[in-house]
Amino acid sequence: MPDSAGELDKATARQSGNWATGTGRVARHSVGLALFVSELSVLYRRRRTWAMLAALAAVPILIAVAVRVTNSTRQSGRGPQFLDQITQNGLFVAVTALVVSIPLFLPLTVGVVAGDTIAGEASHGTLRYLLVAPAGRVRLLIVKYVGAAAFCVCATLVVVVTGVGIGLALFPVGPVTLLSGDTIGFSESIVRLLLITAFVTVSLLGLSAIGLFISTLTDVPVGAMAATIVLSVVSQVLGALPQLDWLHPWLFSHYWLSFADLLRQPIAWESFGANALLQLGYIAVFGALAYGRFLTRDVLS
Amino acid sequence: MASLTPTSRNWLRWLPAAVVPAVIAVGVIVLPSQAGAAVDLPDKSPEEILQLVGESSVDALSGTLSQSSNLGLPELPSGGSSATAGVASMLGLLTGSHSTRVFLDGPSKLRLQVLDDLAERDLIRNGNDVWLYDSSENAATRVTIPDRDVDDGVPPSPSPEAPSPESHSPEAYGTGSVQTPAQLAEKFLGEIDSSTVVTVGTDDRVAGREVYTLVLTPRSDDTLVGSVSMAVDAATGLPLRVAVQARGETEPAFELGFTELSLDTPGAELFAFTPPPGATVEEQELPAHDDLAHENPAHENSAHDPAGTSGEQSMHQPVVSGTGWASVIELAAGTVSGELAASPLLTQLGQAVNGGMLLSSSLVNVLVTDDGRVFAGAVAADQLQAAATASVG
Repeated sequence: MPDSAGELDKATARQSGNWATGTGRVARHSVGLALFVSELSVLYRRRRTWAMLAALAAVPILIAVAVRVTNSTRQSGRGPQFLDQITQNGLFVAVTALVVSIPLFLPLTVGVVAGDTIAGEASHGTLRYLLVAPAGRVRLLIVKYVGAAAFCVCATLVVVVTGVGIGLALFPVGPVTLLSGDTIGFSESIVRLLLITAFVTVSLLGLSAIGLFISTLTDVPVGAMAATIVLSVVSQVLGALPQLDWLHPWLFSHYWLSFADLLRQPIAWESFGANALLQLGYIAVFGALAYGRFLTRDVLS
Repeated sequence: MASLTPTSRNWLRWLPAAVVPAVIAVGVIVLPSQAGAAVDLPDKSPEEILQLVGESSVDALSGTLSQSSNLGLPELPSGGSSATAGVASMLGLLTGSHSTRVFLDGPSKLRLQVLDDLAERDLIRNGNDVWLYDSSENAATRVTIPDRDVDDGVPPSPSPEAPSPESHSPEAYGTGSVQTPAQLAEKFLGEIDSSTVVTVGTDDRVAGREVYTLVLTPRSDDTLVGSVSMAVDAATGLPLRVAVQARGETEPAFELGFTELSLDTPGAELFAFTPPPGATVEEQELPAHDDLAHENPAHENSAHDPAGTSGEQSMHQPVVSGTGWASVIELAAGTVSGELAASPLLTQLGQAVNGGMLLSSSLVNVLVTDDGRVFAGAVAADQLQAAATASVG
């Protein structure tokens, strides 16, 4: 990395020249890939990332152990959904853990990662060095977002995989009862769990885009993280108010619990498509806002 | 590009942030309205559309129904004590919005799925067997329909010819007020007489299918119903959406329609239900048709029997006064269980008026008198009070 101010300016000028003329596409492609790899390695070298993943993994473990130790036959309708099914089928540990994690734990960790994307680099003073590389601001923004999205996949997978693992260890596994009352076999239920993982991951992409935008506004990562997490709570509070039901389909948290539609027979795909479209809208709007902000901003740190 | 000053370039970089929301707004607002405007079907008279409905012969479909109500009733608190939970969930079906998946194959195979949040209520009918399943309770109920009913009164059939004897339809159990637009349309079309003006509205698109719109407008000014509009599939004559408009309101007070519809025959495995392991299973036998008929004596006696003393039977017999859209239904004292009448929900939702409690909505008013009689109708509250006074005298 160049470390003198003169080289820095030259490099910035070169990359903006490339941006304007559209040349050097192949070179910048590999730069983008290298940037993405380094972004991931930085993300997963952080102890904070591992602490958050461990906290997420603790959710299904706590649920499974608590159910196993007390071993009482739960009354239906008490506690989180699917809780009473765990004793019959260990795979429901993963589903119950997702129901518990989606309102707070998953948005919390995603908010931390997404809020840190740009503001974290700015606060460390590394942002201008990143911009020196011939990748350009757009590419950096995209790489940062894809990194946050990769964390969404990872966070959801951690909850599901830990849930399935501890469920298999502590409880019997048999045919899975769907919401419709039909039962499916083990292999199909694994497919459904993977679909649910995909659904929940997609559900978090809108929040990541919001976090990315907020992160371009400030040099204080904690502020961006807190604002992102607060927004996820606000969205859910608004979603719980029946007086605002005209607003509900527009909230990014609207379909967060609709992954249950994948547990119906036949699968109700409408919410999957609607959720993907909604999250895509959030990505487009807040991606455009982040683009506007990040490209016009003076990077001083 | 080279001639751009930094300021104008900055302006350009904010451009996507302005364009993207605009594009989304256009996509959300303009596209659906254009889809509706593009429909232009060959003109038909109201009689021809009624005939189209009458000749409809769709007997297999799968689709998603969406019901929304805007009756002006207060939102009910979810949860609460178990005593009020049943009433609340019943009222929730009426007042709330929910979507239901329907699978139909012939007159005797039906599956309804009420899609709740993280839960589902199912009704599966396969010949004489009817299963009700509630995922939140993990409870299944098996109801066996006596043979005779299978042949005649087929409640869920979308064919308008089929009568719909509500009192013993499987839908009276569990899934409550779930109906198809066809059943609802049939009910309203049955009411068509001199008291109703039938007109044809603008062609529209429902669940991706081109539809004629039939508008029923009551001639009477006494009723709260402003108009009933019905979307009739141009290709099959199947009613796809029914919306009831209250007088003076712009939004439909009640709307039930398909959001998705496929006329393919659903897979047979959908109608073969086995209760899942661990579920509590209950068996019920429906009384045969004849028994029900015996329980329904002639109307006349009970009307002037305020105490409801003429025996068990008359207590369950509603009396209808008035005609057409403005008719008022009276239930004698004791018909509505004391539990319901004393329910805190009633005092919460209703308002005290002269002579009892009034449950008021934009479409229907219900008056529970102090002596326990219930008057209901799509009429103004003072007409219910007048009916209550007249009924005593």
